[in-house]
Amino acid sequence: MAATVPLGLVPTPLYSRLDALSRAKAWTGWAGYISPVVLDTAEFEYFAIRNQATLFDVSPMHKYRITGPDAEAVVNRLVTRDVRRIGDGRVGYAMWCDEAGMLIDDGTIFRFSAQDFRLCCQEPMSGWLRDACWGFDVALEDESDTTAGIALQGPTSFSLLAEAGLGAAAMLKPFDMAVIEPGLLISRTGFTGDLGYELWCDRDRVAALWDRLWAAGAQWGVRAVGAEALNLCRIEAGFIAAGVDFQPVHGALRLHRGRSPLELGFGKLVHFDKGHFNGRRALLRQHETGCAHHLRRIDIAGFKPAQGALIYHRKKKEVGHVTSGVWSPTTKRNIALAEFRAPFGKDITDDLWVEIYVSQEGQWDRRIVPLAIVDAPFFRHARARATPPGPF
Amino acid sequence: MPRDAFDVVLLGGGHNGLSAAITLARKGRSVCVLERGDRTGGMARSTQIALGVEAPEVAHLLYNLGPRVARELGVADLLETPPLPTVSLAPDGRHVVIEGDAARFADGTAHPDARAFTELSARLRRFAGILARLSLKPPPELDGGLTDMATLGELAGLARLGIDLKRLGRRELREFLRIVLGNAADLVLDEMPDGPLAGALCADAVRGNHVGPRSPGTVFNLMYRLGNGGAPRLPRGGMGALGEALERAARAAGADIRTGCEVARIMVADDRVTGVELRGGAVIAARAVLSSAGPLQTMVMAGVGHFDIEPLRRLRNLRCKGTVAKVNLLLRGAPAVTGLPDDMAPARLLVAPSVQAVERAFNPVKYDELPVAPVLEAVLHPPAGDGRCVLSVNVQHIPHTPAGGWDDAARDGLTGRTVAQLAAHMPGLAALVETAQLLTPADIEDRFGAPGGHWHHGEMGIDQILTLRPANGLAGYRLGVRGLYLCGAATHPGGDVTGLPGRNAARQLLGDGII
Ligand SMILES: Cc1cc2nc3c(=O)[nH]c(=O)nc-3n(C[C@H](O)[C@H](O)[C@H](O)COP(=O)(O)OP(=O)(O)OC[C@H]3O[C@@H](n4cnc5c(N)ncnc54)[C@H](O)[C@@H]3O)c2cc1C
Repeated sequence: MAATVPLGLVPTPLYSRLDALSRAKAWTGWAGYISPVVLDTAEFEYFAIRNQATLFDVSPMHKYRITGPDAEAVVNRLVTRDVRRIGDGRVGYAMWCDEAGMLIDDGTIFRFSAQDFRLCCQEPMSGWLRDACWGFDVALEDESDTTAGIALQGPTSFSLLAEAGLGAAAMLKPFDMAVIEPGLLISRTGFTGDLGYELWCDRDRVAALWDRLWAAGAQWGVRAVGAEALNLCRIEAGFIAAGVDFQPVHGALRLHRGRSPLELGFGKLVHFDKGHFNGRRALLRQHETGCAHHLRRIDIAGFKPAQGALIYHRKKKEVGHVTSGVWSPTTKRNIALAEFRAPFGKDITDDLWVEIYVSQEGQWDRRIVPLAIVDAPFFRHARARATPPGPF
Repeated sequence: MPRDAFDVVLLGGGHNGLSAAITLARKGRSVCVLERGDRTGGMARSTQIALGVEAPEVAHLLYNLGPRVARELGVADLLETPPLPTVSLAPDGRHVVIEGDAARFADGTAHPDARAFTELSARLRRFAGILARLSLKPPPELDGGLTDMATLGELAGLARLGIDLKRLGRRELREFLRIVLGNAADLVLDEMPDGPLAGALCADAVRGNHVGPRSPGTVFNLMYRLGNGGAPRLPRGGMGALGEALERAARAAGADIRTGCEVARIMVADDRVTGVELRGGAVIAARAVLSSAGPLQTMVMAGVGHFDIEPLRRLRNLRCKGTVAKVNLLLRGAPAVTGLPDDMAPARLLVAPSVQAVERAFNPVKYDELPVAPVLEAVLHPPAGDGRCVLSVNVQHIPHTPAGGWDDAARDGLTGRTVAQLAAHMPGLAALVETAQLLTPADIEDRFGAPGGHWHHGEMGIDQILTLRPANGLAGYRLGVRGLYLCGAATHPGGDVTGLPGRNAARQLLGDGII
């Protein structure tokens, strides 16, 4: 038989490395690829992210390249923020919406030049981007399967890079990117809120890159991590996750399940003054008439993680729920992202309560605990911004 | 210096552009109609087929211009002509004559299915009248929620439709719902055997669209035609006179009408229309632009980046395969029709001998091939002074571009087949032909810009009517950019010479308070 399409999840080019390291054998599917949930234990991996250096396989990310004379116009019409304000050689976090202003997905935009962009995101976006490019002088290439990536995160991540002979990355400020070696793009980006980098190269070179980082990392405490530890960190950093804190509107079957960037608290990334972008008119209307929901960071009393808990006003009226809730080991707070029905969460922020169910060896208990709304990310560290980064 | 700033620019001087211009100018707005052709009227204009002889270039009959709109537009007097009888030509010479709800044989004898026909057509007309009410307004959008005045107005309209439907009575209502989305072949053949009478009904049900009598939605199309009575009519002075009268009415109301002006670009700033740029670079400022060019073409002229991705995608996928060609024959003298008394001459002649023949003629177009025996609608126009006369023919089920392209052989073949089909009933016709003009759907697209050369600028199908015309979310004539509207046949209620899209769009613009 001729070439066949593999059934089920397919290995990324790093699967052999990960499998050799995995004690937990806990895998999940990510965009069709095999991806680790945990390799050792989530706690070990979490503390490695916060104290050492960690590697995470981001090859499954969807990557799209948009090039040509109209590339900037296409991307600016696609996303809500003004990509003309992102410098060449910079990366920007961005959101894109449907015609009703509801979030389709979020991701990072790599701006190589006004004529060359890469979009990195969780959801497959080929069809949507093809439609977005129609009528413009651009070429669209799906690089998802040809470009692989490794996220290197943690306070010693720069030291590890230097050790691996990639010290030239020292000059990268947060959200900078540069080709550090032929065929190796490094961006100072990540999902942890800490010092960190993402390394991008051709799929067939990524295993060698992994080995090089691994070898250099011994004295910097390098560890491989899975999605669970990363999830803890992203909540601490205050980042939202698709399918968890919002439902990507193209995948939502029911009416009114979509949420807008304004509702998710990203008004700063909606630049109404840049000209037309998808969903602008709907978002402008919402901007004028008010949001139906507010996603907020909250700090909850006690220490029991509040994932999925309902939120009440005056302990009576149900006004929202927790979308992501964890005990944060670093900040020692019970933190969460929560969605409120407007005006709660914005205009009404006091007398709000979380109802948490806890099981103590089969005995269920219900606790009503107060919450406080928090503006800043839960976890922030100066080392994440220092350039050149310290050795630690 | 001609004036270069107006409240409204009408992009396109077809009859809908003119209807919009009249409606707006009468309300005191300054209006400029820009038409790229050398005459207004669009697909309803006339053309000089020979020195001193005018022929309807494309559309050749009125079946859908309602008296109310004609009065509003100031052209009601043109409609004071008797309706034309329809003659469904029969291969055996027993032609069927249809006048209103009555059918008989051409020799005056009774048709065995006359009663069934009368009942069916009366029923359809009653249903059609209800749908026609919906055509006088933008279709309901209902997206404002119940606290919105506009939505409440729409609901009131819908409630009226509901009341109209209720008044039908239970049995009739059930019948309406049973047939409205169905196909014409089943409807007609339930009531009468196949033959020229059934064929005529089905020819009317498919005319203009990429369908056969067995395609769903053809009953709706038939009702659409019947919405304003459905009696075919030549306006006083011929088809061209209508466009001229509309142009006169627009000028009288103060509109500035310019032919030979092609709009190259619609200018947008800060999400508002600011005017248009003509080919050649001249700029005309306007606070609103109403376009009767195709919806996608309009977006492209404004720059697709000004629109959301979804509506653009919907319009890119608008179904608009033109399927009707126009053949105009200049004849040295009036032909006689075998089996038809001479005084029947000003009639609408159909070649649609049976439902099966109509369905069969539809088959090849699916594969971009030409039908062997196309369905025809022919009108013999009153002779010019010298006895020469024009026979204009709508040839149904012709592909936009046949598989091998429109080379001379394909063109001559189509004209030849059309003449041959008619010559079967008009002996000696071929010898009478002095000039034959053919406009294929591709020609029509080139000449008028109608998307796909489509009769309605976009297929009239269940997925593209009412709130879905031209596409989901665009039924209110607005295109998103403030001040930019569609006003041509692609919008609600659809094509034919009705004046409705133009008039409705103009009223929507006035209602939106933009100018
Ligand atoms: C073969 C055929 C036969 C038909 N027969 C009949 C019939 O007998 N009876 C009937 O009721 N209907 C008939 N129709 C349908 C009817 O002709 C149309 O539905 C109707 O004329 C549409 O009117 P409109 O004003 O919306 O558009 P159009 O008549 O198409 O007018 C659009 C105008 O815009 C102009 N334009 C386009 N782009 C530009 C630009 N960029 N700048 C400036 N001007 C521009 C065009 O030149 C054109 O004049 C027929 C259609 C076809 C194809």
